Amino acid sequence: EGSGGCRGSGVSPVSSHVTFRTRGPGPRWEDSGSLGAGDWDGKVSEIKKKIQSILPGGAWSPLCDTSHLPPEHSDVVIVGGGVVGLSVAYWLKRLEKQRGAIRVLVVERDHTYSQASTVLSVGGIRQQFSLPENIQLSLFSVEFLRNINEYLAVVDDPPLDLQFNPSGYLFLASEEGATIMENNVKVQRQEGAKVCLMSPEQLRKKFPWINTEGVALASYGLENEGWFDPWCLLQGLRRKVQSMGVLFCHGEVTRFVSSSNHMETASGEKVTLKRIHEVHGPGLEAPLVADPSGAYFRREGLGNNYLGGCSPSEEEEPDPENLEVDHDFFQEKVWPHLARRVPAFEALKVRRAWAGYYDYNTFDQNGVVGPHPLVVNMYFATGFSGHGLQQAPAVGRAVAEVMLEGRFQTINLSPFLFSRFYLGEKAQERCII
Amino acid sequence: MLKFIIPTIMLMPLTWLSKNNLIWINSTAHSLLISFSSLLLLNQLNDNSLNYSLMFFSDPLSTPLLILTMWLLPLMLMASQSHLIKEPPVRKKLYITMLITLQALLIMTFTATELILFYIMFEATLIPTLIIITRWGNQTERLNAGLYFLFYTLVGSLPLLVALVYLQNTTGSLNFLLLQHWAQPLSTSWSNIFMWLACMMAFLVKMPLYGLHLWLPKAHVEAPIAGSMVLAAVLLKLGGYGMLRITSMLNPLTEHMAYPFLMLSLWGMIMTSSICLRQTDLKSLIAYSSVSHMALVIAAILIQTPWSYMGATALMIAHGLTSSMLFCLANSNYERIHSRTMILARGLQVFLPLMATWWLLASLTNLALPPTINLIGELLVVMSVFSWSNPTILLMGTNIVITALYSLYMLIMTQRGKHTHHINNITPSFTREHALMALHIIPLLLLSLNPKIILGPLY
Repeated sequence: EGSGGCRGSGVSPVSSHVTFRTRGPGPRWEDSGSLGAGDWDGKVSEIKKKIQSILPGGAWSPLCDTSHLPPEHSDVVIVGGGVVGLSVAYWLKRLEKQRGAIRVLVVERDHTYSQASTVLSVGGIRQQFSLPENIQLSLFSVEFLRNINEYLAVVDDPPLDLQFNPSGYLFLASEEGATIMENNVKVQRQEGAKVCLMSPEQLRKKFPWINTEGVALASYGLENEGWFDPWCLLQGLRRKVQSMGVLFCHGEVTRFVSSSNHMETASGEKVTLKRIHEVHGPGLEAPLVADPSGAYFRREGLGNNYLGGCSPSEEEEPDPENLEVDHDFFQEKVWPHLARRVPAFEALKVRRAWAGYYDYNTFDQNGVVGPHPLVVNMYFATGFSGHGLQQAPAVGRAVAEVMLEGRFQTINLSPFLFSRFYLGEKAQERCII
Repeated sequence: MLKFIIPTIMLMPLTWLSKNNLIWINSTAHSLLISFSSLLLLNQLNDNSLNYSLMFFSDPLSTPLLILTMWLLPLMLMASQSHLIKEPPVRKKLYITMLITLQALLIMTFTATELILFYIMFEATLIPTLIIITRWGNQTERLNAGLYFLFYTLVGSLPLLVALVYLQNTTGSLNFLLLQHWAQPLSTSWSNIFMWLACMMAFLVKMPLYGLHLWLPKAHVEAPIAGSMVLAAVLLKLGGYGMLRITSMLNPLTEHMAYPFLMLSLWGMIMTSSICLRQTDLKSLIAYSSVSHMALVIAAILIQTPWSYMGATALMIAHGLTSSMLFCLANSNYERIHSRTMILARGLQVFLPLMATWWLLASLTNLALPPTINLIGELLVVMSVFSWSNPTILLMGTNIVITALYSLYMLIMTQRGKHTHHINNITPSFTREHALMALHIIPLLLLSLNPKIILGPLY
């Protein structure tokens, strides 16, 4: 406002003569009162504002304003503000019995989400899993996504357009995997997913652009499978969760301050239990086709563009710090498989490429959900190894139920508890990416 | 009365001169001995009061309150031991000094003969309480809470000073024992109306009356445990005691003037009980329950019948012990989980069964289960208000039902149900905590065997 004061008179501040702001041709002594040169109205309005803020109901408090800092105390701290974290926050607020019962804080270290798995994800959702729990999770998530404007409605905000393309997933199996695929489809049908098995001739008839060499059986999801825009889901969740009263904090959790208790189990073994006190951190009906080699692709938009990719195998795993795209990887590993499966792709040109992260669970490539056995007030919802986005709404609800009710109520996720790591029971998916 | 005041004041040098590892033991043991000596006051010989001197007296109304006050000091000291562990010894001694000062001032308030002395002590009790709330409370909201507490009570009681000085000028003496017999009937003139309001406002704010109760949830929730205990058990009763004393001089004006405040209390009982059902914060629930019970006491005092006076005094003592016990239980939760949110600590019965017994007993006395003195108080009040006006039975009945609802809701929410995973490793209850709860509930249960000592002077 300093130099702007001279703007009206058109004189620059460094000019040799000074211009006062006068209110009119009044006598000089009126302006040089105890309040300085003019601006009486401004000062009066300042005083009025101060009085109004001090009166009860105003936002003034004798302490410094700390609204930009995270709260000193919170009942639940969610580390990570991606789609799983926001989903947990949403369901916690949704399932609490009274409004304002529980104070939730979401800590996110990058509000642009430039390296978050959520926005770098291909955005597919499918029910073609082999574990019934995974199928149930995806079924609920798809119901959530279809009715997203009832779940995530915020007053006066425009409705969300998820751009859900229900084009389905198409899994191709070679001779060895055909029996596993059949069993999987049986389990999926039992849980209520609508999947059909196709032979190579039916495949050729339905999708003439596929080269069915080496394919013995294919499973095609008819309903509730496809892809959507994960960024839209994330923004929708963020906006809804903020309207429900969840606090956000921009920061990274670097350490926990915990206290430990030495206790004895019933059989006499000594165990140390910790409690955390502070928290310092991918033509129009084409489905998403997944080749047995691990490469997959889907249609993107209506302009003859396709999104495809592949996860590198264990040996080729690049450095996680580096999100640089390795173009040779596409040329050597991804493109040959895509071109073999769909002959039209021999002429495809790479327009853009990006790399993203998978929360990879090296034990059995499925998520970990539930409480930590030794740290008593820590809960997990992580490690979904590539299908976290599609299961996020349902997983959020499951974790909120464990926190608020003490057990899983709607979908029983006991195979995904942490205890399977030390009991050695793998919850393995079969024949899936 | 000096035989209580001087030992209480001497507790202060005891605390400051004790060795660091003996401060708690010394102060608790000696205050317990002093509280036993207060039982001598129960020996009321005749219909008049026990007059110790020109300045102090005790009659069947102030005796139970005095015994409650002196009983509460060792309990407060026991309850505060845990949250002051990490403080340096000087600060611990300061805290204990605040409690002892408060105790001495309260003794003098309850036994003052001269009403100006009563007023001075009444105001003086605000200072140690304010220091306890704003210095040793846990959240930053305690500053706001202290502000509300101080200014509500102060502004309410300034007119009382004016009224007392006026009474001194007109009647020549403010000695309560004389004023009882000298009181002139007050006609309904404007100045008398204002004098009535001036006299009663201070106590109505302190009780608190429903429209003036905003300071109570804040102050009770933000105060540390000893602060909550003394606020709920004794400081609220200061209002009731003051009202009981001063209404003897305000007849027959009270019959006309009391209407709006009676309406406010009757409606406020139900409102605050209903608010309890929606609370998520445990201490806040107990604070609103205090407002609800005190609204009954206000209604009883304003209708001025013998039964209602008996009910009011019984209810004051019963509520003092029950509310203090509930705050101690909530604090035992808070010390383990560091949060007052009720959802976060559920299913405690499996982990702490004996503490669950105390929870059960406290909730049962809170909902006025027969044959506790809570029931005697409530029943006498309900009956006398019914005879004052028949339709009030609907409001009173609704209040009793809602009180039962929220007491049981609090019990079930904290004790029953599936426990949350993160309370797996809470520390078991300390013997000190069990002793604290037992020392609350044993007088309460014993009084149901001989309630006539708490029924006040009209028994």
